[in-house]
Amino acid sequence: MNNIWCRMRRPLMASAAVALMLTPLSAWAYQDAPMLEEQVKAGKLPPVDQRLPEKPDVITPLNETGTYGGTLRRMLGGSNDHNSILRIVGPQGLTRWKADWSGIEPNVAESWEANADATEFTFHLRKGMKWSDGEPFTADDVMFFVDDLLNNEEFYPSAPSNYVVDNKRMQAEKIDDYTVKFKFAGPYGLFLQLLATPLAQEPVFWAKHYCKQFVPKYNPDVDKMVKETPGVEDWPSLFKLKCGELESPARWGNPARPTLDPWIMTDQAYTAGTTRVVMTRNPYFWQVDDKGNQLPYTDEVTMGVAPDNQALLLEAVAGHVDMQRRKIDTLANKPVLAQAMEKGGFHFYEATPSSSSTMTIHLNLTHKDPVMRKLLNDKNVRIALSLGIDREEIIDIVYQGVGQPWQIGPLEQSPLYNEQLSHQFTEYDPDKANELLDAAGLDKKDAQGYRLRPDGKRFTFNVNYTGIEQPDWGDALEIMKEQWQKIGVELNATSVERSIYYSRGEANDYDFMVWQSPGGLDAYFDPRDYFPIHPQGSWQAIPWVRWYLTGGKEGEEPDASNKERLKLYDEFKGAADPAKQEEIFKKILQIAADQFEMFSISSATSTFGVVNNKLMNVPDKIPSSWMYPDPAPTLPQTYFYKK
Amino acid sequence: MLWRYILKRLLWMIPFLFAVSVVSFLLIQAPPGDYLTTYIAKLAESNEILDQSAIDNLRERFGLDQPIYVQYFKWIANLLHGDFGMSFEWRQPVSELIWERMALTLILSFATLLFSWAISLPIGIYSAVRKYSIGDYVASTLGFLGLATPNFLLALVLMYIGVVYFGSDVGGLFSNEYVNAPWSWGRFIDLLKHLWLPVVVLGTGATASLIRIMRANLLDELNRPYVDTARAKGMSEFWLIMKYPVRVALNPFVSTIGWVLPNLVSGAVVTAIVLSLPTAGPLMLQALLSQDMYLAGAFVLLLSSLTVVGMLISDILLVLLDPRVKYD
Repeated sequence: MNNIWCRMRRPLMASAAVALMLTPLSAWAYQDAPMLEEQVKAGKLPPVDQRLPEKPDVITPLNETGTYGGTLRRMLGGSNDHNSILRIVGPQGLTRWKADWSGIEPNVAESWEANADATEFTFHLRKGMKWSDGEPFTADDVMFFVDDLLNNEEFYPSAPSNYVVDNKRMQAEKIDDYTVKFKFAGPYGLFLQLLATPLAQEPVFWAKHYCKQFVPKYNPDVDKMVKETPGVEDWPSLFKLKCGELESPARWGNPARPTLDPWIMTDQAYTAGTTRVVMTRNPYFWQVDDKGNQLPYTDEVTMGVAPDNQALLLEAVAGHVDMQRRKIDTLANKPVLAQAMEKGGFHFYEATPSSSSTMTIHLNLTHKDPVMRKLLNDKNVRIALSLGIDREEIIDIVYQGVGQPWQIGPLEQSPLYNEQLSHQFTEYDPDKANELLDAAGLDKKDAQGYRLRPDGKRFTFNVNYTGIEQPDWGDALEIMKEQWQKIGVELNATSVERSIYYSRGEANDYDFMVWQSPGGLDAYFDPRDYFPIHPQGSWQAIPWVRWYLTGGKEGEEPDASNKERLKLYDEFKGAADPAKQEEIFKKILQIAADQFEMFSISSATSTFGVVNNKLMNVPDKIPSSWMYPDPAPTLPQTYFYKK
Repeated sequence: MLWRYILKRLLWMIPFLFAVSVVSFLLIQAPPGDYLTTYIAKLAESNEILDQSAIDNLRERFGLDQPIYVQYFKWIANLLHGDFGMSFEWRQPVSELIWERMALTLILSFATLLFSWAISLPIGIYSAVRKYSIGDYVASTLGFLGLATPNFLLALVLMYIGVVYFGSDVGGLFSNEYVNAPWSWGRFIDLLKHLWLPVVVLGTGATASLIRIMRANLLDELNRPYVDTARAKGMSEFWLIMKYPVRVALNPFVSTIGWVLPNLVSGAVVTAIVLSLPTAGPLMLQALLSQDMYLAGAFVLLLSSLTVVGMLISDILLVLLDPRVKYD
């Protein structure tokens, strides 16, 4: 009986396909991967319609319906490359980014409503949805996070800021088994988008039936388990070791932990000893394609571990990597890979950057030296320094002619694009620069022709940059040094190890810092260059960041313009209406443009990733960003191998 | 006498290892910042952003907000109970991470040692006995080439040839199906199949210098009067050389056993990284780079203990080998 049914299913499917478009997929229509069909026959798994939710998430594949089988091979760089796993298996949160990053769409949540002032969000979960071990996924799992973890000070001494508004932690209410309402102390207009970012899956991350064994409230024997486990001192540590935490390799180290991901860990999990990670399809994955085939298409994802990037490149050259950008997408690697393309059987896809510029000079507006501080806070000095750079020359020599002279700000394709912010003062005009510097009180020069500050010291910038990670910055700074010499400004650049870079930065001990500018396409989520918000990234004024983040208790009060932007940002976060959000943010960008606090050399340029020629449904262009954890939003579970 | 000497040496190891633990902990702490600064820096490199509250939580959980002596005593107290603490980077107990790596490191060291001895002893003896012959020149030339080529370069070249011309999988010590499998006969055979590459790469340098040492030592011994005496008494030439001069010339081989392990861990790190070997070296280097104190500390302590034990073994072997060495 069962056999006949299996043979009949495919022809039946074809005729039903048209009807499927119109009616919701009915239970009998679903198709199983051959690998799982065998297990169903052997009685190890329930049939596919019992494993899927009542209404699975129906995905239309990018180009064509796929076929089952095969292994998606990727590489991890040595230790702590866990986010590379996250990027392919996907951040399965309540919402997800659309593949083209134009907005969000339902993911784990089937639908949602928000109230008018964006303080309450009601999520409807999928009826009958299951964890990877077959246990039901319900509102109780969400409530477990909110009540037992988020609002438990032992677990979170300070709560993840995604769930905090007005210094109060999010609360939740269970409406029924498949409906939960989240409540915030104030308006939270970005909440739904934030849930699509890589580190915001907490509400649907922990399976209560499994994880509660590590919580004292549910299991009085937790103390004993803590004592028996080496390295662990309290229950939150034990919980995080066994049940995972979002941002840690341990998340991928325990195959017993139930998940909602398309592929789940096998006993070859990601631990420090491993040289190869293997994930296999989740038999309870809750997405199907538009023909009723349960996703994912490929049986396995394997990830070799290569601590050396050259070894990783070698694997890509050999064609042992099926789809990857991370760790290989440098300009220098492109010719090597292009040469190996035919033999290795792969091609490139374009990785469009979300950053704004490749190299931004963050002048220290809160400089410890009062003379220097006064000079750097003079907009005309900043303009002069920018006009003293011949960007075309640097782009030609250092960036192989790729990119255009650019400051900071959202990219041209973004609705937030601000012409002034990104293009002002990019021309090379040493005469004008000299004129401005003379006027700013730097009109005296020493014997070597360098300008003297009002206190008689030479006008010098001593700069540290992380040369190992970004050798191009060193090259560019060397050229800048010569160019600035012509306007009487001295520049000494030294490459330092990155933790020294960061400790100098946090100690506010620098003239300017060099880093790339994010905020090209992800301005809402990473606005660190538009106002002081990021404690390790808004190098223009770290003390101001501290002031803002501690509510005025630490750090230093920002100037009026930055305070205004921070106030607008608070308003922006509270605005529920996307049009209103855009309007406020544009205002912020305009102020940043008028203030002209930092300058860059070149616009960010596209990089690339490699794709196996036989791997289908991979887009030609994928945004690459942290907030859009490429390639997950393009749904790798729909990639398949053409026979 | 010898037993008392061994006991004394063993007792001395206790304060020595204690001192090593203090010094290594201080050294790991010496660079500016702590694990979290390097962690943040690493994330920032790919423009990944970590929540400030998560950083605060981690700092508290790892005890990084406490003074260094408190951190040290916490570590050493747990260590006395056999608990090596938690690796910051992997957020896994250190004890889960180190044993397999140490075991593979020992296997690799031992195999490399055997390989280089097996090659260098006969060649060294031959070069000494047939001084300035064609064979001596050939062996010396090859030896110098081996010594002069950096190991990692040799590894890269061999890997490149393997990938480009043979399409083979390179790197690692196991085939895919055995990587995380429990130990079995099949896994052992698989290990042997992969072991030769790192052994050859790592062994070449050592082999070359051992050939030279053997040759020089043996040349010293060959002209000694006792050799002439033995020869005059009509002993066969082969046994004559093997039994006396070679035995004496072995002295430097035996006395360096204790260094083999630390050498392989510290000197072969680059090679191990290039070849993706799951040995202690790369993990320790990474732990040091990211200031993962407890993991790095555990490795430093284990290596120090093994070195101390290794030195003891070479001293004992020396007594057995060379009748002139005495301990009182």
